[in-house]
Amino acid sequence: MTRRIIDARLHLLSRQVLDVDGEPVTTVEDLELRGADGGDVVAGEPAHVAAILSGPVLVTRILGGRPPQSRWERIAWSAVSHLGTVVELDVEASTLDVDWPERWLREHVVRRIPGGQHDPEGES
Amino acid sequence: MKKLLGVALGILTAIGGFVDIGDLVTNAVVGARFGFSLVWVVAVGVIGICLFAEMSGRVAAVSGRATFEIIRERLGPRAGGANLVASFAINLLTLTAEIGGIALALHLASSVEPRLWMPVAALAVWLVLWRVKFSIMENVVGLMGLLLIGFAVALFLLGPDWSQVAREITQPAVPEGEHPAAYWYYAVALFGAAMTPYEVFFFSSGAVEEKWTAKSLGQNRLNVFTGFPLGGLLSVAIAGCAAVVLLPHGIEVSTLSQIVLPVAQAGGTLLLAVVIVGIVAATFGAALETALSSGYTLAQYLGWSWGKFRRPAQAARFHVTMMIALLLAVAILMTSVDPVAVTEFSVVFSAVALPLTYIPILVVANDPDYMGARVNGRVANTLGSVYLGIVLVAALAAIPLMIATGAGS
Amino acid sequence: MTTPRRPLARTATRTTRRTTVRTTVRTTATLACVLLATSAALSSCTASRQEPGQAVAAVADAVELADSAVATTNLTVVLLDGGDLVAPVADTAISDQIGELSDASSALTTLVPPDDTSSALRVQGLAALAMAVDAVVSARAWVAHTAGGDLGPDGGVPTDPRDVVDALDEAADQLEAVLTEAGR
Repeated sequence: MTRRIIDARLHLLSRQVLDVDGEPVTTVEDLELRGADGGDVVAGEPAHVAAILSGPVLVTRILGGRPPQSRWERIAWSAVSHLGTVVELDVEASTLDVDWPERWLREHVVRRIPGGQHDPEGES
Repeated sequence: MKKLLGVALGILTAIGGFVDIGDLVTNAVVGARFGFSLVWVVAVGVIGICLFAEMSGRVAAVSGRATFEIIRERLGPRAGGANLVASFAINLLTLTAEIGGIALALHLASSVEPRLWMPVAALAVWLVLWRVKFSIMENVVGLMGLLLIGFAVALFLLGPDWSQVAREITQPAVPEGEHPAAYWYYAVALFGAAMTPYEVFFFSSGAVEEKWTAKSLGQNRLNVFTGFPLGGLLSVAIAGCAAVVLLPHGIEVSTLSQIVLPVAQAGGTLLLAVVIVGIVAATFGAALETALSSGYTLAQYLGWSWGKFRRPAQAARFHVTMMIALLLAVAILMTSVDPVAVTEFSVVFSAVALPLTYIPILVVANDPDYMGARVNGRVANTLGSVYLGIVLVAALAAIPLMIATGAGS
Repeated sequence: MTTPRRPLARTATRTTRRTTVRTTVRTTATLACVLLATSAALSSCTASRQEPGQAVAAVADAVELADSAVATTNLTVVLLDGGDLVAPVADTAISDQIGELSDASSALTTLVPPDDTSSALRVQGLAALAMAVDAVVSARAWVAHTAGGDLGPDGGVPTDPRDVVDALDEAADQLEAVLTEAGR
């Protein structure tokens, strides 16, 4: 893979995240940055992206402030396989914590309505 | 042969899918008040929707990204979020108007109170969204919407003085006794009705639903550049019928039942039946499109999985969003608001929201990261910039004109 | 070392306060704009308490609405009589117009005329509107009659479409007389 320079603000934030099957997972709401030694980021020192953040962090990105670390919903950066106009992961959405609202609605609402499992593209 | 059939089908559904309750009501109101003197606005609006629908379709086909993903990505969470709130609200208003329109059309055919039809119509819309394959849904309602050609037939049977009509169209003037502000208010409303943002949300997301690729670009162009203008002609025919029959009687259009009277006069009960079925199909189709658009916009902004091509369980949040939107629409209608009034408001607010949708499309259609070699050509960019100017003027003028004219009265 | 700290801190406080003040100003301005827009939008809706000219215009608007309703009913009756319309559509069309007439009526009845001219015009308008309501209601009864309802002359329902159209024409004449008076 060729090296490219990527502007995190321009090429990462608000991009769509797809899982290994190409299913949409979330958008990149924010990024967790860590210092070179894994500690906090120090201005002027090199830092790396540790995780993609999603969920409640969107609200604080719009209104300002930031949620407590315990409320951060992370996708580890190691799961990222490719960066293009979308961010592709090498894991399935169902293994990620950030996917819980989708799974909750699926189990508690949609699956209980008759036809919720029906494949619209198949023979009906 | 099969390919040719597919092409023809695409064009026909684009024609049948163009007209919705907003076009229907606004054109009839305008025809009955201003005759043919505002036809030029429909032409301007149709060229605009062609331009931007082609762009959004091309972006979706080449990059696989639908319009609201792009809006979010380009405008960021804050401006994108404000855009989402505005678009979602206007879309909900349009959905409300469409479901009200289905109910009014069924009321015409049956004399059963529209308030009883509204929940039935919403349930039917939901069942189609829940169950039916995307392409079948699109083709059936598109082809049935084509029955609105009855308006064009009616106009020819009424046989107005065509040279007079041509003169009114080519040399537009504010009719005597009308205030210029009212004339321009309805110009903005017609423009908003022709360029309603949901059409672009639906068109681009539909391209993803049907798994378009760069190979589909020819089909995209053909659908847009033949289907939409022919759909625009249907709009003009609706205005024309009102101008020929209702204007001389001094009838102000405020109900759906008035819109179909010219058709009955021209073609009797048979043509009337055809047109009523066409109105039901057109509003039903538009209700499907706006309900889907409410799901598309929210899901694309937040990066959820979306699309009718997925099993409902695989796009749970998307389907729940559409259910909530439909329930809200019915709830609004149950307050016994007049669906025609909701329609008139929805087209004007659509005009206000136009720049929010069309600026990001123009930007991304020029981004080689997304489009590779398929970026906008010079013609598309020049026209796009001109239209951006028009869209901005219409958006800024809409609310002041609405206040100054007391919503056109 | 201590000396530069205090001014720095003070500057910081001042900046914060200024930002807060600016935010408050902005919020107030937005609120004022919203209020202004709302009141402007509402003022165009209320018919009561107006200048004499506006009151005449309000009467004329309501009468025009009624005139349009009568014209629609007339067209519907003619079409149904000629066999170009089916009864359910005709019934819906006319019942929609009854709704329009009640809008016109509420506009006229809630108006508070500020002078004699507009008051006299309103009285004329109400009289013409009453005729219009009678004519449209009996047109609807005639539609029910043609659809095979158990209605007839004994219940005051016209059986001849010409009578229906005549009544509608007469109401339209009255309404148009009011409009001429109002200068439309």
